[in-house]
Amino acid sequence: MSNEITIKNVNMVYGEGGGHRELRNPARGTVALKDVNLDIKKGEFISLLGPSGCGKTTLLRIIANLQNQTSGNVEVAGGTPEQARKSRKYGIVFQSPVLQDWRTIRQNVELPLEISHYPKSKRHELSEAMLRLVGLEKFKDVYPNELSGGMQQRVGIARALIMQPEILLMDEPFSALDEFTRDKLQEDLLNIWSRSLCTVVFVTHNIAESVYLSDRVCVMSPRPGRLSAVIDIDLPRPRKLAMRDTVEFVEYVSKVRNSFEGI
Amino acid sequence: MKLKKILFSSTFITIVWIVLLCSIWELEALHIEQIKRTPEKVFPHLMQIFESIADPKIISNDQTSIELVLTNAYATLERAGIGFLIGALSGFILALLMKFSGIIEKIAFPYLMLIQMIPILGMAPIVFAITQDIGVSRIVISGVLTFYPVAANTLAGLKSVSAENENLFRSYSANVFQTYTKLYIPTSIPFLFTGLKISAPLAITASILVDTLQGGVGLGCLLSQSLKGGMSPFVFWQIIFLSAAIGILSLQVMVIAEKIIMSHKVRWNREKNKNLI
Repeated sequence: MSNEITIKNVNMVYGEGGGHRELRNPARGTVALKDVNLDIKKGEFISLLGPSGCGKTTLLRIIANLQNQTSGNVEVAGGTPEQARKSRKYGIVFQSPVLQDWRTIRQNVELPLEISHYPKSKRHELSEAMLRLVGLEKFKDVYPNELSGGMQQRVGIARALIMQPEILLMDEPFSALDEFTRDKLQEDLLNIWSRSLCTVVFVTHNIAESVYLSDRVCVMSPRPGRLSAVIDIDLPRPRKLAMRDTVEFVEYVSKVRNSFEGI
Repeated sequence: MKLKKILFSSTFITIVWIVLLCSIWELEALHIEQIKRTPEKVFPHLMQIFESIADPKIISNDQTSIELVLTNAYATLERAGIGFLIGALSGFILALLMKFSGIIEKIAFPYLMLIQMIPILGMAPIVFAITQDIGVSRIVISGVLTFYPVAANTLAGLKSVSAENENLFRSYSANVFQTYTKLYIPTSIPFLFTGLKISAPLAITASILVDTLQGGVGLGCLLSQSLKGGMSPFVFWQIIFLSAAIGILSLQVMVIAEKIIMSHKVRWNREKNKNLI
């Protein structure tokens, strides 16, 4: 299979001579990423796993063209990240849902369609299909403040998927949720992904989460932020929550845990 | 539980306030009555003021006192309204420009504070001397007083947009126009209303004060005439009460406009309250 994202010798230094002017990062003058090399295949589910300060979010932001690397090269879908962003190949889900209070759920989900001037007559059809997919069709006319955190995050996922992006970027999307809601959303995410076949880059600091979801887990370590191991997860799909109690799963978790360096 | 609900209801609190203020007023009126020979000139009873409103006696130009006051109030309010609209609109536009360009912000924002520091009401005679027209002076001063609260609050609103929201719009590669109309401006609306609520009563006060500079029509003008004893002393008190009412009304108009525009918030608050009770 062809590569969707190719990352070559990427370095990111905050502070002198490097870093994006707009980036508000207190850790100035530090090496956030050092010599990162990674190929991500088309349709692959990949996790960037690591403790805070290991540069996983920075790497995601570089792929998303939300900031530029100090040196090195990133190729997305045969072009630069900027080209990919401009041709609207990304769907992004953040840690907080980032919904607009003044829009109903349906209007929130339709926001990307509005921005890309998608024909008005077809918007409702698409947004309703998306809301069905995340199980929120009954709530389409309520405002975000009336929903729970887990439901809000589902809206964020529906919004990210509505443009049928080639690449879904997720930055710790479930870390603010309680464990029950998180389990449910993880299972739903796998279902949705198996139908859409987009490439997923999933940032997390939860080991079990990364093993459960991913085809490959990229273990990152801090000071300087670097890729310390890439572990293939050869568990069968579709994966069910009960799989987490199997010996195989637990072995993968401990293998991932043992691959961390210098924390 | 029910008693507690009544005690903390806003209607009950309003009634307590009205009763309290009225009794303080009446006590003071009684006090003045005992020490002055012509008390109604200085501090009449509330009842006397209400009687004067209903008084059918023609006092000038075929108008009863309350008709006269209302005619003048209209002139004042109209100018205050025009000044308010101009001030609010230009404040809002400047805030947008300051958000759009860091250079404009750097040039304009520190000096905006100056407008706030100049006692603009004190400048009224000079503005009047320059414009040579009392109506234009009212508009200018109401506008200037409206301008700063609206500009500063709207700018704060435009800057309150979260970095994640900006990233989201960037990832959809939204253009500048879309980012403003779909993100920055909607986010700043509650802040805009904070500014409008501060400046609406200010604009009216300014208009009344400018009136006092010259004869003619306007509440302030009538106010200075009645103070000089040109007409029934109750006219003075009618003006004071009406001005206060207009000030409160102007604030209420903003509150209602806000509720209409931000209906999603009202709805949410109602839901939340329902859960609490």
